[in-house]
Amino acid sequence: MNIMKREMKANLKSLIIWSIGVLAMVIAGMGKYAGMNGTGQTMNELMAEMPKSLQAIMGTSGFDLATALGFYGLLYLYLIVMASIHAVMLGANIIAKEERDKTAEFLLVKPVSRAQVISMKLLTAFIHIVLFNLVTLFSSIIIVERYAEAVTVTEDLSLLMSGMFLLQLIFLLLGSAVAAVYQKSKKASVISTGILLVLFILSILINMTENIEMLKYLTPFKYFEAATILNKGNLEPVFLLLSVFLILAFTTMTYRFYQKKDLNL
Amino acid sequence: MNMYLHELKAYRKSTIIWTLSLIAIVVLFMSLFPAFSRDAEDFMKVLEGFPEEFKKAIGLSFDTLATILGYFSYAFLYIKLCGAIQAMNLGLSIFSKESRDKTAEFLFTKPVTRTQVMTAKLLACFTSLILTNLAFILAVFGTVSMVKTEEYSGQALLMISGSLLFLQLFFLGLGVFLAVLLPKVKSVITISLGTVFAFFMMGMISSSTDDEALRYFSPFNYVNDYYIIEHLRFESSFLLVGAVIIMMSVLTSFLVYRKKDIHSI
Repeated sequence: MNIMKREMKANLKSLIIWSIGVLAMVIAGMGKYAGMNGTGQTMNELMAEMPKSLQAIMGTSGFDLATALGFYGLLYLYLIVMASIHAVMLGANIIAKEERDKTAEFLLVKPVSRAQVISMKLLTAFIHIVLFNLVTLFSSIIIVERYAEAVTVTEDLSLLMSGMFLLQLIFLLLGSAVAAVYQKSKKASVISTGILLVLFILSILINMTENIEMLKYLTPFKYFEAATILNKGNLEPVFLLLSVFLILAFTTMTYRFYQKKDLNL
Repeated sequence: MNMYLHELKAYRKSTIIWTLSLIAIVVLFMSLFPAFSRDAEDFMKVLEGFPEEFKKAIGLSFDTLATILGYFSYAFLYIKLCGAIQAMNLGLSIFSKESRDKTAEFLFTKPVTRTQVMTAKLLACFTSLILTNLAFILAVFGTVSMVKTEEYSGQALLMISGSLLFLQLFFLGLGVFLAVLLPKVKSVITISLGTVFAFFMMGMISSSTDDEALRYFSPFNYVNDYYIIEHLRFESSFLLVGAVIIMMSVLTSFLVYRKKDIHSI
């Protein structure tokens, strides 16, 4: 319990900064919608004609840009990138920082098992990403509703945010798994952010060309796309399963490897 | 000289990895150009049917985007993002690692002044960025000449890809400044990613609102690629502001670093 309290406090500042960032993103993004309101209908006609690669460059594939919710779909991509960067760094840091700051000795001579330490840390990180998700959800609901004019958006937004939450979980545990497996803990956050950037660029490339469509199972950024979620009204079961599998795999890796890890002191 | 060589060697691996990833992004994006240009040509015919005001409202000149230079400018956005992270990481890490790795005592008991230490470190950063940029520009010209469908202005391409160095110097300066100013930098990547992304978002907002004043706050937009393609020159006021900011941050860093209280334990 003490570990949890300690970790809650240690990561609070970054959570606040990230929340402000995500809030600013939603406000600024939807402000842009207000700016181009009115051109929406023509925009849709144009988008229908646009080839896939051009749509990818503008990031507009499959949205009804005349509605506030459709426009929010555009913004969603940036939100999930922010959320997953936060999650991956949180996951990597929360495990790796004991070695980095030379506090591993202090912590692990306490009468708690390594598994307990991990559980406490992961639980704290879990609470943090839930908070991050809720901040995004509520700020989105409030702001999108202002533009949406009498359409209820809560349900769709909640669905989008549950997709984002799964992504956050995947990346959080990816970060912690990297930190647990990799010997040089100092590099853990660099490596896991590197993996994230590679996956992100891969997802952009997949959007641009149909030839590598098969690779979409490799990058979580393709699992829950706003266009599919908004059009179908649910998360795709294949990717849901795949995410659960990844989450379980990374969790097992974190526990297994950290318990046997040769700590660098 | 020893310090310079030592730092160059210490950052050799990371420079190589960053350079290779920048080149990989260029190659990946440019290899999709042939397919893209076919799509774009069809789309141009569709676009002709739309009213002029509308084309302005969506804020993208497709005529430029469909050429190889326009397409490159699109890919260049992601390259700039990576390059900025590299430079900021480098500056932040090279000036904070002595106190983080507890080597400050060792270094500062050597018969060298702090100014000498700082000069050597800055030169090492500069060299590593120059090498990255040279390799990058070569890769750009190689891939672009391979995938081109029509003639393009080599000067414009050189100016656009060369502006990466300018952006990197900006973020190097910022990184150095922060490293010197902050009492202790625990995790380099957290600060650098946060700062770079904040500026990146600011750049996105400023380019979507066309706010001239806001543009001064977003180094990502100091050099406007489309302006270069049209006029074959930089916008001097932004170049000047950027140069002044770089000078200021380096100079203040020198002043502060000479008297900085450095913890040795």
